[in-house]
Amino acid sequence: MVFNSYTFIVFFAIVLGLHNLPLAWRTKKINLLLASYLFYALWNPPFILLLWLSTVVDFYMARLIGGEERPLRRKLLLTVSLVLNLGMLSYFKYGGFLLENFTALLSAMGIAFQAAQPDIILPVGISFYTFVTLSYTLDVYRRKFAPEPSFLNFALFVTFFPHLVAGPIVRPEDLIPQFETPRRATAQQLSWGLFLLSLGLFMKVTVADGLLADTADLIFSLPFPVQTLDAWMGVLAFSSQIFCDFAGYSTCAIGVSLCLGFVLPDNFRYPYAAMGFQDFWRRWHITLSTWLRDYLYIPLGGNRKGPVRTYVNLMVTMLIGGLWHGASWTFVVWGALHGLFLCLERLIRQGLANRQAAIPMADGAVMSRASVVPASLAAPLARFGLVLLTLFLVNITWVFFRAPTFDGAMLLLLSMFGVISNGPPMLTNTALLTVGVVTVGLVGCHWLMRNTSVAEQAKRLPWWVLSAGWAGLSLLVVLSQKSSSSFIYFQF
Amino acid sequence: MNTPNYTKSAWLTLGLVLAFVAGWELYWRNQHLPIGYNDDESMWASKRRQVYESSPTRPVLIGSSRIKFDLDQGSWARITGEKPIQLSMDGTSPRPVLTDLGNDPNFKGTVIIDVTEMLFFSPDGSFPEKEAIKRVKAYPTWSLSQQASFQINRLLESGLLFLDDRNLALGPLLNLLPLPARPGTWGGPQFPREFFVVDQDRQSIMTPAFVADTALQNKVKGVWLDVGAHSPPNAVTGPALQAILDATKRSVEQIRARGGQVLFLRTPSDGIMRAAENKLYPREQYWDRLLAYTQTPGIYFEDYPALTRFSCPEWSHLTPADAVQFTEDLIPIVARKTGWPLGEPLSALLGQPIPTCR
Repeated sequence: MVFNSYTFIVFFAIVLGLHNLPLAWRTKKINLLLASYLFYALWNPPFILLLWLSTVVDFYMARLIGGEERPLRRKLLLTVSLVLNLGMLSYFKYGGFLLENFTALLSAMGIAFQAAQPDIILPVGISFYTFVTLSYTLDVYRRKFAPEPSFLNFALFVTFFPHLVAGPIVRPEDLIPQFETPRRATAQQLSWGLFLLSLGLFMKVTVADGLLADTADLIFSLPFPVQTLDAWMGVLAFSSQIFCDFAGYSTCAIGVSLCLGFVLPDNFRYPYAAMGFQDFWRRWHITLSTWLRDYLYIPLGGNRKGPVRTYVNLMVTMLIGGLWHGASWTFVVWGALHGLFLCLERLIRQGLANRQAAIPMADGAVMSRASVVPASLAAPLARFGLVLLTLFLVNITWVFFRAPTFDGAMLLLLSMFGVISNGPPMLTNTALLTVGVVTVGLVGCHWLMRNTSVAEQAKRLPWWVLSAGWAGLSLLVVLSQKSSSSFIYFQF
Repeated sequence: MNTPNYTKSAWLTLGLVLAFVAGWELYWRNQHLPIGYNDDESMWASKRRQVYESSPTRPVLIGSSRIKFDLDQGSWARITGEKPIQLSMDGTSPRPVLTDLGNDPNFKGTVIIDVTEMLFFSPDGSFPEKEAIKRVKAYPTWSLSQQASFQINRLLESGLLFLDDRNLALGPLLNLLPLPARPGTWGGPQFPREFFVVDQDRQSIMTPAFVADTALQNKVKGVWLDVGAHSPPNAVTGPALQAILDATKRSVEQIRARGGQVLFLRTPSDGIMRAAENKLYPREQYWDRLLAYTQTPGIYFEDYPALTRFSCPEWSHLTPADAVQFTEDLIPIVARKTGWPLGEPLSALLGQPIPTCR
């Protein structure tokens, strides 16, 4: 089920109604759990079995790990959980990719091998709920989180429908404690949750699907080069589309959850106003980047094992982050580019910090080596320039993320940089205007909002002004009428 | 800083949205547009699911827009007792749907294939073929959730005019912005909103306003000229044509091998459109060759005086009144040509010869 569907409206109304009935807390949680299974099963019922398997195995493995003191046995139990979760993910998500590459490798070695094409359907949200359950088992293993005694609470933590299929990727401490005491949204929370749901739907239905999808789809599907303007507008359209699609989903999820009285973590903080890639990953898909940091980058050694290992760890983390998004080499390149930019940025920052550390300041103080923004970049214009430079590089990486093949990506890049300049114009003035207005609006909004939040801004507005804006968003959703199209991140 | 009162905002928002939606709906009702349904993926999928109930009296119709206008499903049902299953898609080639039905081991029914040459013979990888493939591929993943949404959507669409996705959604409204055309680009066909509506059986019906207004008809003629100007200048020939014929033959034979039946149909066209079709797709090289190569019966409208007396107001499709007459005239011809038992009242007609032009 998707948030932008009539089915969801009916489903949510029923869930909300049941949750506000004078029932026992345990009964309400059972209602939420059953509703979450229904929410998932309405896509493809058999895949609910995978969800159950993951839930049951991780619940019991974590209990066994929690009660076990012998390090070897603890490791063994953790391995069982990892093998099951990563095994399922590998089979369903990477089975075809691995086979394809294995065949290509044999072929390159001169061995003729033709494997039958596996007909594997990717269960929706498997990448998300696998990371959710993994974080639980890993946290219990690391004694960061005590095993949850209630199977109901744990099952609801894994399955809670707002975050189940596309995040935010919740941690045990984010959600499990919230299931322990009765919760019901106040009228204020319910209203704010509905506002967030409207905002998320506006981002997804109106902006991503209604205004940008056709342009991005057209430009990325062409097998021939286009004019430079068209190439850039196609990439900018995708850049805004993927943000509005994914951040829209997260906003809906947070809003829906709040309507039920639960708080989910933020997943986006105006990433297109990021100054540098480090800042970008603190603002884009925050729950994934922190997951990768805590469960991959830091266990690999993080920045504690010298500069070379730090760069290697960064690259490994980003390569795996790229592969998490999809079983294709284009995603790996996307991750590699992000890794490369992160490494370069780290090098530059350290170089600048070293230089500044040696320069005594006017008052005799020495600028801290830990300073993030050099003095030359303190001016707003320079900062905005840095934002634009980051956005420019992020857009280059999006080409690999969205292009179906390397050839397609290269063709588009060559068109973008005028290397191939004889392509035809493809986009109408309406499409150019739409993408231009959305891009400028989005970047401007991110710049203005980069150090604040919607909630903080809403508090400053008179209630009727907020209402006028809210009504405007809702009306544009109604006018867009693009119901039921899937969110891009469901495929990941 | 204010103490936020989100609850008050929520109620005002609800009031504003309801007021706007009511006003918007009333505005469009005052424009006298008839209610229609969105001919989207779910609508198509709901029909695709019915193909296993197909029979000669309930054939599966595949093709482009012409058969959606020209074959009146109500008339067909009145005469044969059952409604056809409409799987044709506007502006697309029927070949991907034919391939899908051919590959479906459970499909043993009857197929009528509407041949609009410039779409049927569009090469692999062309826009008309890719658009049809999208829907065919989406069908197996038509989820229970989408099915439920479709039912709710249908209910809403039956009563609310403003839910017309083709004409009144944000995208089509933005296309009305008075922006100059960018040289060398084309935004696709922009039909006047009065052109047609689609009913819940996927029947396309010209609106009374369109039938009565030659200025609107001329606008659509202009759209066809525009489409022609942006289409490949030459028809597919040589190996590409042979590949199309091979693929068609394979699918037809797959269906027939399971006991199914196939009939090709060429519906009327007119004016400059007809002249261009004759020039680009000479009958002997395309239609006749298709029938001979696939060993399949076909009905070409020009072969039957009863089917030749219609004119298309915008060169390509029949008016609702003509569609009724065309269907009534077509059924005995189909019955005669194929021997399909198309309803009791026809049995008497089967003994009589059908006049032909050739």
